[in-house]
Amino acid sequence: MSLCLNRLQEERKQWRRDHPFGFVAKPKRTEQGTLDLKLWSCAVPGKKDTLWDGGVFKLDVIFPDEYPTKPPKCKFTPPLFHPNVYPSGTVCLSILNEEEAWRPAITIKQILLGIQDLLNDPNPESPAQAEAYNMFKKDRPGYERKVRQVVRENPPM
Amino acid sequence: MATQLAGMGHNAGGPVAESHTLVSQLYHPGNQRDPARINEIQARLQQLQKGENAWEIADSLLRERSAHHRFMGALTFTVKVNVSSGDIEESMTVEILAQLVNHFVAIVNEGEQAMVIRKLASSLTTIFRHPKSPWKRAIWQLAASLAHGGYVSEQESQTVNFLNGVLPALSTQQALALSFFSVALAEDGLRLEVEPQDAKPILERCQANIEDGFLLVRYIMQQISISEAALREESTEVTLGNEAMSSWKAWLGVYASRYTSSGESLQGIAVQCGQDIIKMLRFPTLSESAATVLTQAFDNRRWAFDENSIWALSEILSDSIVTMHIVAITKGDEGNESMAYVDLLVAYLSYLHLDLFSDPMKPQNLGILTIVHGIFKTPGYASIDDPATPRVLEYWSEIAECVTDELNSDDPRYQLVKGQLAEVVLGLFNKLLYPTPEDLEDWGDDERAEFNAFRYEACDYLLSAYPILGVELVSVFQKSATTHLENHDWRGFEAAMFCIAQLSEAVDENGHADQCLDAIFGSNAFSRLCTGSEAEIPLKARQTLVDTFGKYESYFERHNPLLAGVLNILFESLSFEPCAQAASRSILTLSKSCARVLTPELPIFLDQFDQFRTKPTATVSTMPKVLEGIATIIQKLSTDQEKVETLERILDFFVQEAKKAREEAGTSYDVARSHGHLVLGCIASIGRGLRADSDEVINLDEAEEQNPYPPSFWNAGPGSRAQQLIMEAMRILIVDFPVDSGIIDSACDILKAGYTESSGLFVFPPSLTVDFIKSFPLGISGTDVIMATASSFLASHASHAAHIRNEAVALIIHVTELFSSMLQTPNIYDPETANAGIDFLARLLPKYYHILFSLTEPLPSSTGNASSQHPPVFAVLLNFTLHALSRPEPLTIRSGSSFWVTMIELRGGNAEETAALDQVLDRFIPPLCQTLVKQFAGRCSRSDLPSLSDALRRTIFNKMRQARPSLATALETLDAQMADTNGNQVPVFSPQDKSRFLETLMIARGARSQTLELVRNFWLKCRNMSFDYTQ
Repeated sequence: MSLCLNRLQEERKQWRRDHPFGFVAKPKRTEQGTLDLKLWSCAVPGKKDTLWDGGVFKLDVIFPDEYPTKPPKCKFTPPLFHPNVYPSGTVCLSILNEEEAWRPAITIKQILLGIQDLLNDPNPESPAQAEAYNMFKKDRPGYERKVRQVVRENPPM
Repeated sequence: MATQLAGMGHNAGGPVAESHTLVSQLYHPGNQRDPARINEIQARLQQLQKGENAWEIADSLLRERSAHHRFMGALTFTVKVNVSSGDIEESMTVEILAQLVNHFVAIVNEGEQAMVIRKLASSLTTIFRHPKSPWKRAIWQLAASLAHGGYVSEQESQTVNFLNGVLPALSTQQALALSFFSVALAEDGLRLEVEPQDAKPILERCQANIEDGFLLVRYIMQQISISEAALREESTEVTLGNEAMSSWKAWLGVYASRYTSSGESLQGIAVQCGQDIIKMLRFPTLSESAATVLTQAFDNRRWAFDENSIWALSEILSDSIVTMHIVAITKGDEGNESMAYVDLLVAYLSYLHLDLFSDPMKPQNLGILTIVHGIFKTPGYASIDDPATPRVLEYWSEIAECVTDELNSDDPRYQLVKGQLAEVVLGLFNKLLYPTPEDLEDWGDDERAEFNAFRYEACDYLLSAYPILGVELVSVFQKSATTHLENHDWRGFEAAMFCIAQLSEAVDENGHADQCLDAIFGSNAFSRLCTGSEAEIPLKARQTLVDTFGKYESYFERHNPLLAGVLNILFESLSFEPCAQAASRSILTLSKSCARVLTPELPIFLDQFDQFRTKPTATVSTMPKVLEGIATIIQKLSTDQEKVETLERILDFFVQEAKKAREEAGTSYDVARSHGHLVLGCIASIGRGLRADSDEVINLDEAEEQNPYPPSFWNAGPGSRAQQLIMEAMRILIVDFPVDSGIIDSACDILKAGYTESSGLFVFPPSLTVDFIKSFPLGISGTDVIMATASSFLASHASHAAHIRNEAVALIIHVTELFSSMLQTPNIYDPETANAGIDFLARLLPKYYHILFSLTEPLPSSTGNASSQHPPVFAVLLNFTLHALSRPEPLTIRSGSSFWVTMIELRGGNAEETAALDQVLDRFIPPLCQTLVKQFAGRCSRSDLPSLSDALRRTIFNKMRQARPSLATALETLDAQMADTNGNQVPVFSPQDKSRFLETLMIARGARSQTLELVRNFWLKCRNMSFDYTQ
């Protein structure tokens, strides 16, 4: 088995044994019902006592063949209203950038926790979508209203 | 006292005496309620522990007969060794060691408290890991010293065999003290592994003790197995046994270190220790600790077990005190306190993985499987009162996931596993029953969330088992669902439907389980449910049922006679808060996929909608989805006349609501805003629903030239009133209504709804879009959405651009005016408007460039002044993009770069147009290069480099003739400076550096990665050298 698949098997095991409460991370299934280890379906809950509390946000995590040398791509489905999420849904986060803070030792758990942190603590230095970024900068009450609506539309399963 | 240590602090009487007094005061009951005093004492003690008299203080305190003083003495040794580490030479480490060992032996023999012995053991490890310490076989030497009654040198200690000579000479108390040290040493070794490379020699010395560590464990285990005292709770033997097991775990860790070069013989001893510990499972006093330690070893150190270990463990798990504990859990007689045994059971099963299912199966394993299945019978709710079920389920999920990859279906074991997986399904069902309302009342949010998480884990198992169990799996739940439905057992029905809903992922599209689903949805009981004649269905069951409908979109598409009944339940469910979201989602999904067959039901749905729209559950999250669904069905009505009659009925209502919102604006802004948002959101969703099917969408590029707004049923015929109603609602909620981003979003959605249509209710006159866009002032939040609508508008008319020239010009002029005012009045500069406007320009360029570049007159608003002072409209726009590109806002830099990439790559439709474009580029490439070079010279952020570099490389690749001299000039005029060591400003780049940079850029010829690399290095050089930009 390739390094990539070995590592993903291990990640799967580790996740089963220990994962933060309210998070979901599991490989998707192929049409035959078997697991596609390189494509995971994940969900990140909003942190307690933040604007995002009460919402659970689904994302796909796509692992390249070169994983863990190269980072996975995390993509909210549907795209999320957030300053650091591209209109396509892809998350802009330093630990997911090969040229910035990605390290092969970073686990899926750390990635998802990092994304949870990012939700309520956006990085205005790296905007990825104009809509949320502009509202965050210019119209904070409007931004918060919109986030609350997003939370309502993404209730826990 | 040893010579070197004694000489370090003469006249220490004062500090030594003081330290004794301070320790007494620290623990004096009178001071315990005075935190300030305690802090004061501690601060002074810490001072003394680091001072020149610390050695004497440590030694003296350890000689006291009080545990507090001795503890502090040991701590003082540790602190002093750490703070004076650099001053301690090899000989001194030996001296300190001898002193510590003597103290250690003395206090152990005096029967001192474990806390003090552990602290002193920790002081010993501190000296062990000193870089100058030659100490190697530390356990052996300490054991020999304990046996001897005082310090024995390392060399001397090794003259007596450790296992057969030294260890038998130790008392139980001494063996326990030695174990404390052994654990501390191994745990230190584990910590060293993650430390830098210079810790490697110390780690190697630590590894020299692995064998002694394991031998000590073996010795203790053997002693305990024949000790009667080990059967008594709280005996020293029990403590000794626990310590030995911890020691095994810690030394396994050191053995597994990446630096360990020890041979296989050590592994053999480690495995034997594991077998000794497995025997401890039969000791009631030690079994729980043994189970915990073994579980951890199974998780991380699988190599610590061999076939004999597994055989011994299988014997114990299938029939021993461990089995009794697990069975007690399944009967509800024991709870969390016995989970260590379940964890061990699961660890054992996971270790064996598919090897458990040998053909034939070992009798022990058969017994173990019976116990495992019995766990599902544990009383209470999984995860909440019953922690065992989720753990066992984890194991079965692992097995289900790997079977198809690892076993062929003709392998006899495949059938064996299949049978087990099916048994799990049957056992699991009761665990999935949702709590009764009474039980639920006592639960908080966390409990509910945990139980829900368990249910999803269980369904994950079902999905993993489906490829092996096939449709039989669905049929189990189908039978359960139909029986429970007949009997009105709503909890059972809910649980069965929950499982069926989750299995939709595997069976909805392929239709494999259609017969099972027919048996439920085609039953009389279900028909009664649909007509509402059934007894009131509880909320949770209704919620799950509603959710199930949405998950079987393809099934209902194939079985559309069922739809009317299903939608009836869904509409009914909209009134219940917990169901409304899921019901609205399912209504939308099913209406979309089965719109045509639902048209006869439309009048009923509209009546149901009329009832729903007044309910508190009719919110911005639910109502638009319901309306979109209804509009999808309306779209399938055969005539426009039928459509308009239905639509007017709905739209009349929303115009009234818009008027109400307007009235509310006078009293409450927030109420009016959300009301207005709801109204426009609903109208926009009708627009989405009315959109022609995606496969019928007109091809904008290939459509023939046509009038952008030809007369039609909807604008000049009977449909025009409906269109007027929409425009009226928009007017009411936009003109002189408080600006709100939600309202802007919805209004834009209404406009965009018709952009992909050739004719229809939502195809408005082009002037509506233009007037709407022009109506917003500079700087409002939502400009990006408004300008994106302008872009969509132009894109929708791209095939007949000439026919909407006036509208396009109006929009371009509007943007130019916004840009112009920002250029003239810098304090009103709005990055959002800049970004949105530039983005709009970039998108219009490919199809509308001829209109843009035909605007060679100044802005109409600047007439009256001398026109020579006012640049033409297109130049204002291009100048603004360059200005925005020189600013720090990341989004504007991105859109500005993207604009110039499009601009550079633009090709005219004929020679004349090409020449005109070249003329524009000749004029603007020099300032573009100037701007780019300034940004690259350390001004922009690192994350801006890729987009700016894109603009540069496209310029070089497409317009090298103009790019080279422009870049040369830009570099030449670049006055990047840095301060030298004397504070004088000196240039960052020599002329040669600049020339080399230019040449390498030219050689790269616009290649992406090379250009970016060159630009990044240039930027880094400017940044790293404290770049200071001076004009």
